[in-house]
Amino acid sequence: MTALIAVVMALAAISAIGVVLSPQTIYSALSLVVTVTMISVLFLLLNAQFLFAVQLIIYAGAVMVLFVFIIALLNPEAEDRPALDYRAMIGLAAVAAVTILVFVTARNGITYGSGGFRGQQVGAASNPYHTFAFGADAVNAAGNVQTVAGQLFTTYLLPFEITSLLLLVAAIGAVYLTRRTKEAA
Amino acid sequence: MIGQDYWWVLLIKAVVVVLGLTTIAAYLTYAERKVAARIQLRLGPNRVGPFGLLQPAADAVKLLFKENAAPANRDRLLYLVGPSLAGGAAVLAFAVIPMGINNWFNYQFHWDIAHFNVGLLFILGVTSLGVYSLFLGGWSANSKYSLLGGLRSSAQLISYEMAVSFALIGTIILAGSLDLEQIVGAQQQTWFIVLQPLAFVLYFSGAFAETNRAPFDLPEAETELVAGYHTEYGSMRFGLYFLGEYVNMVIVSSIATTLFLGGWLPLFPFHPFDWIPGPLWFLGKVVVLLFFMMWVRWTFPRLRYDRLMNFGWKVLLPLGLLNILITGTVVALRA
Repeated sequence: MTALIAVVMALAAISAIGVVLSPQTIYSALSLVVTVTMISVLFLLLNAQFLFAVQLIIYAGAVMVLFVFIIALLNPEAEDRPALDYRAMIGLAAVAAVTILVFVTARNGITYGSGGFRGQQVGAASNPYHTFAFGADAVNAAGNVQTVAGQLFTTYLLPFEITSLLLLVAAIGAVYLTRRTKEAA
Repeated sequence: MIGQDYWWVLLIKAVVVVLGLTTIAAYLTYAERKVAARIQLRLGPNRVGPFGLLQPAADAVKLLFKENAAPANRDRLLYLVGPSLAGGAAVLAFAVIPMGINNWFNYQFHWDIAHFNVGLLFILGVTSLGVYSLFLGGWSANSKYSLLGGLRSSAQLISYEMAVSFALIGTIILAGSLDLEQIVGAQQQTWFIVLQPLAFVLYFSGAFAETNRAPFDLPEAETELVAGYHTEYGSMRFGLYFLGEYVNMVIVSSIATTLFLGGWLPLFPFHPFDWIPGPLWFLGKVVVLLFFMMWVRWTFPRLRYDRLMNFGWKVLLPLGLLNILITGTVVALRA
């Protein structure tokens, strides 16, 4: 199982790099589809079946379809590949530094409180993947429909409703803006 | 052991499902031609083998040996990705469809490949990827007919996905689960087609559009678009699209059977009906629905495209919402 997770993670990373490096926009978008799908497969391997399905339906099946649609219709020209000059090097170094920092912070459980930074080594000696080690039951509970729905409709009801209202406003706004007026038609 | 099965059991199941689905899809083309012929008072294929039964094999051989003609200005990679995806998504969806449960020597045998507690969402998620095959196929060929066909079919699929999903929610409320085996189990007393007749009609009308079949076969309206998104495909590349369409028919019929027609449950829960094994009941119901789809195709004319969109958004979707409202209210009141 761990090997399978590693393969899926590698595919996700490779396709994510493909999003940035593809010369053609449509290939960037399709790489993003692969990334999103691979992340959903990761959810599945971690037993979060509901998150898997939602990720697949919403991101890969709906949002990215629109991206691909629009890119294919506008058909943007292939862009010039930026040269790997000193500015690009600085950017790459910055990204690498932040990534390493985040990883180290997460691995050592470093938090920032009143007493400044505080680190706690979480069982690194006994199990190198300790931070990812949740039991199947715990993950199952977090990732299954009843738990998510229960939280969504009780604890987080207000934020949930506000978000849905926001989406509704956005949808109505989009319809209004794209509607042709009588004179223009 | 992977999940509840030995790995070799899973392997056998997977091989049987893939080979079975492709064979069924091939023979559906034969069945379609026979049904069309009977409806039009013709004989249909009857030269290759007894009753023309070897016709699908002859067609496959012909498709495989044809020249791979392709437009010069195509996008070379995506042109191949399109047809490859066409059947893949549909076959994958079949992995979670349960065809029965048997107890053999203390070994519980499930007639499905994978068991999900959100099986229905899995199917919706995987089939929603099918739209890429149609759109990429239409776009990458660099032809106006293909592009228009691809656009139409993608817009149609996305629109009807909503309507179809909404129609299914009523049955989920009644069953109280997204697990397909539990949904079938909840129909021991009454099939959901009796409790949810509106949802069944909504789902099955939407399913015609999801599979790009008449009367909603706008993507391939030959009078306007030559052949739609697969205009520029020939030989087995076209064959893969064709295969994908028929596998999709099997999938939507299987979903309808599982959710509305009681899956593998017999028609009446007593002898002699329950002597027939569950998987046969399941296949029988699927065959009836498949015949129904062919019957409709050769009976109704094609809708105009704006009518099709209106029907999806202004008829199926509101009725689906109404169905959810009524079902929810009744269930809440009885609880």
